[in-house]
Amino acid sequence: MEETRSAYRESLKVLERQTLEALDMVVQALDRALEAVSYQDVELAGMVVADDDRIDGRYLEVHQGILSLLALQTPVATDLRIVAALLHVIRHAERMGDQCVNIAKLLPLSGYEAPKDKDLLDAIERMGQLARSQVSQAKQSFAERNIELAYDLLRQDAEINQLNIDIFNRALAIGDDIETREWAMHMILVARCLERIGDNAVDIGEQTAFVVTGLFREFADASHPAV
Amino acid sequence: MMEPRPSVKRRNGMSGTDPEQSTSEPDAGIDGSGREPSERTAEESSARDERAAARPARVAGHSVTVGDLHAYYGATEAVKGISIKFPPNEVTAIIGPSGCGKSTMVRCINRMHEEIPGARAEGKVLLDDQDVYAADIDVTAVRRLIGMVFQKPNPFPTMSIFDNVASGPKLTGNKGENLRERVHKSLRAVGLWGEVKNRLDSPGIGLSGGQQQRLCIARTIAVEPEVILMDEPCSALDPVATLKVEELIEELKEQYTIVIVTHNLQQAARVADSTVFMLDGEVVEHGPTKEIFTNPKDERTERYVTGKFG
Repeated sequence: MEETRSAYRESLKVLERQTLEALDMVVQALDRALEAVSYQDVELAGMVVADDDRIDGRYLEVHQGILSLLALQTPVATDLRIVAALLHVIRHAERMGDQCVNIAKLLPLSGYEAPKDKDLLDAIERMGQLARSQVSQAKQSFAERNIELAYDLLRQDAEINQLNIDIFNRALAIGDDIETREWAMHMILVARCLERIGDNAVDIGEQTAFVVTGLFREFADASHPAV
Repeated sequence: MMEPRPSVKRRNGMSGTDPEQSTSEPDAGIDGSGREPSERTAEESSARDERAAARPARVAGHSVTVGDLHAYYGATEAVKGISIKFPPNEVTAIIGPSGCGKSTMVRCINRMHEEIPGARAEGKVLLDDQDVYAADIDVTAVRRLIGMVFQKPNPFPTMSIFDNVASGPKLTGNKGENLRERVHKSLRAVGLWGEVKNRLDSPGIGLSGGQQQRLCIARTIAVEPEVILMDEPCSALDPVATLKVEELIEELKEQYTIVIVTHNLQQAARVADSTVFMLDGEVVEHGPTKEIFTNPKDERTERYVTGKFG
């Protein structure tokens, strides 16, 4: 039985590639945002904000491509599930890009001086590494249709969630210095953004499971925690 | 539930679309378009109401069960031991590449297959619990109860529109007002009445392709069958005529059990409750249409519906 519909197969592949590349863009934005946080680099933060247009542009591009594919090629079966999942994945990529922007925009608000508390900063950096690893792993799980990797995102996400709580508690106990407290409050917001990025990565994992099994179910959500 | 049905061999008159068999009233609010009645255009609504009025309320249909069916053309086995149950009041689509045996299988259901020289069938075909291949079965009665619509519209070329539809009921002794009423009702049921009521005496072949196909469906339902087999009924029709026939199929399942062979996968997706995928004379997968097109279980079904092989 010979292969048919080669042009259609090609455009489906291109759409998936473009979508997964958007996750690479997110990783890059996240790296820069984290570096900006570590060194209180307001200039670098500005670049993160400006560069987000690339991710937004990619979102529109993929969205349009998927609409065309649906209209012209009526994908069904696994193809249909891939297309539906790509719509979610690109949306999550766009949201994660926005969270990087949110982090970047917090920096100028907390002043131009170096970070104030090593413990708190260490926790933020650890959280950032985990979020970065989650985004990469979400991409890999989708690209390889690997459900094990997708489920493993939950484990990492649990750690991120715990760090988020730790950071909050550390910030509460940070002392009386006004500037340090202000910085710490902003770090709580940064942690919140990173925590959201982790959630989006888990959602991408759910899409992987949907493509593979044909069944959609949330691994975990706020009202039904997984662990 | 279903009335006990008289057996095929004892039946002389028409099969019953007895109003007492009605299990439910048609729901006036639901027209299949997903819109409220008030949103429909006046023209749409009147055509639809006319068709609806021409049909009795939902009738408990009859099931067809095919069991270990083998069909041969000479030494070639085209259907290799198929078992399928076609549930009443449902549309079942048969899909599969050319030569997979889907038309042959369907033609075995009303014993059309054996008309081809050298062709024979083995196995069971049950209409409810009546074996249509039993020795004492009247083949003509089987074909009246299991009507068929073909790929190309085939109105009787020398007959008028009226006579095309009247030909079947005439054979079973209908005449006069009774016959006229039955013809008009059938034409209304297929939505052709408004288009042909002023020219019932013109030749059937003077109609457009889509109208001819609806005329053939009217001819099929005029003898009040229990099951309608359709072998690629829309492949010779334009898209608008196709959609009209599809809409009609959706309406006809209120009273009939429908089996449709189609090469048009989107058509199967649109009209069928369940879909059967056949390959090389065998059933690969049979399931709810939604499942077949979103999450098929068999790799071969997946490859066929996604167009990975032709």
